[in-house]
Amino acid sequence: MSDELSLDLFNGAEDGHGEPAPPPAPEPKVWSVSQVNRAVKGLLEANVEPLWVGGEIGQWTRSRAGHCYFTLKDDRAQLKSVMFARDAALLPTDPDEGMKVRCFGDLTLYEARGDYQLVVRRVEAEGAEGLWRKAFEQLKAALELDGLLAPERKRALPSYPGTIGVVTSPTGAAVRDILSVLGRRAPWARVLLRGARVQGEGASVELARALEHLAATGLPDVIIVGRGGGSLEDLWAFNEEPLARAIAACPIPVVSAVGHEVDVTISDLVADVRAPTPSAAAETVVPDGVALLSQLRRTPERLGRGLRRAAQRRRSAVSEQLARLARAMERRLGPARQTLDMGALSLERGLRRRIERQRAGLTGLAGRLEALSPLATLSRGYSVARTPEGRVLRHSKEFRAGLRFHLRLNDGTVAAEAIGLVEEEGNDG
Amino acid sequence: MTEQAKEELSLEARLARLESILARMESEDVELDEALHLFEEGVGHVREAERVLAETELRVEELLANGETRPLDGNPG
Repeated sequence: MSDELSLDLFNGAEDGHGEPAPPPAPEPKVWSVSQVNRAVKGLLEANVEPLWVGGEIGQWTRSRAGHCYFTLKDDRAQLKSVMFARDAALLPTDPDEGMKVRCFGDLTLYEARGDYQLVVRRVEAEGAEGLWRKAFEQLKAALELDGLLAPERKRALPSYPGTIGVVTSPTGAAVRDILSVLGRRAPWARVLLRGARVQGEGASVELARALEHLAATGLPDVIIVGRGGGSLEDLWAFNEEPLARAIAACPIPVVSAVGHEVDVTISDLVADVRAPTPSAAAETVVPDGVALLSQLRRTPERLGRGLRRAAQRRRSAVSEQLARLARAMERRLGPARQTLDMGALSLERGLRRRIERQRAGLTGLAGRLEALSPLATLSRGYSVARTPEGRVLRHSKEFRAGLRFHLRLNDGTVAAEAIGLVEEEGNDG
Repeated sequence: MTEQAKEELSLEARLARLESILARMESEDVELDEALHLFEEGVGHVREAERVLAETELRVEELLANGETRPLDGNPG
């Protein structure tokens, strides 16, 4: 086809020289613009293998549809380039103006404009991981600005989780490693796996949705998000914003576990705990069952010791209290005893005084009683006349003639009989 | 207290409670009455925790997109 094309073109050019035109002069073949561009496009695409082109990025623009238009240039020339959305979506980030890159793609011709261009399938920044590094730093800065990398955001993991959430590829090595470690260390645990693609376009969003979905069940006590090792490109979903934001927003503590090929991912930075591998994440998340069980078996003994100590403390506390009580009583009894002694003393003294007083009183009283006693009068020579019934006869007219009466003398009683009144001068005596 | 030990406590909560019981019982000012109660409760927690830990088969379930869970077959453990 190209031979034919160049022949035609050549012939076409020759035609311009002929003069005058021979009579049966055939009409020159006139190509339409479209035909030419299609022909050139065909030439290019058929003859130029896909190739790497090195240069600097110029005038990078990304259209609404996601196609990227730019030029590749060196100090003398430039080459129009395009990266269609499907490939551009896999770029970690847009390259900077003037960034030295190499692009892999096909030369072609954009027929509508007649521009020939490089349709780029891959862009790699010069220097190891250039574009990736740039994207990483950009996202890291953005998350840092939002405070999502702050150390105080890191939550402690539960010590003995009952349910462990896992977000990873259900068919990858990571899930096998995680389940094997969990089964060995904490076979009592429950694992809730939410599968997601861990690489390729849209993997970060898929991982983010899976994490949100798992967290929304409210079942896991802790969640492992990860995948096994791979190239930087394979791991890229863990360096992208959707998963990073989902981890930061997750209400349940998250352990990031991305294979050990790179030093750190954005997911590692945002997660509460970073584990270098999925196996290590599983080790971090659960206690060692054997150790826990033996610790648990020693616990009743510890409890018993505590109980015994409490009992001994109480016993010694009781005797201690008794001693204290005794001392306290002694302290209070001492003065009391003294007071009591003094009281007794004064009481005794008072009593003695009172007794003496009473005794003195009694002596006086006895004297007075003595004085009042009729016997004393009688002893002075008086006598008392009384009826046999004991009534004292005080008046002379009571002594009728013939009255029998008793006469009480100082030393005895005499039975007597009245004879009659004795006429007497003067008063009774 | 023993009733509390039998309740559906998570292993986490149970072991945390056990920790605080031990700490309390190993402190100097716990009264005998309290120590007795704590001892009973603690032993109950130990028994329940041991029962949980005696499980030997890791339960693995898959959370499906529709929100259901199903046991994962062919446990790769």
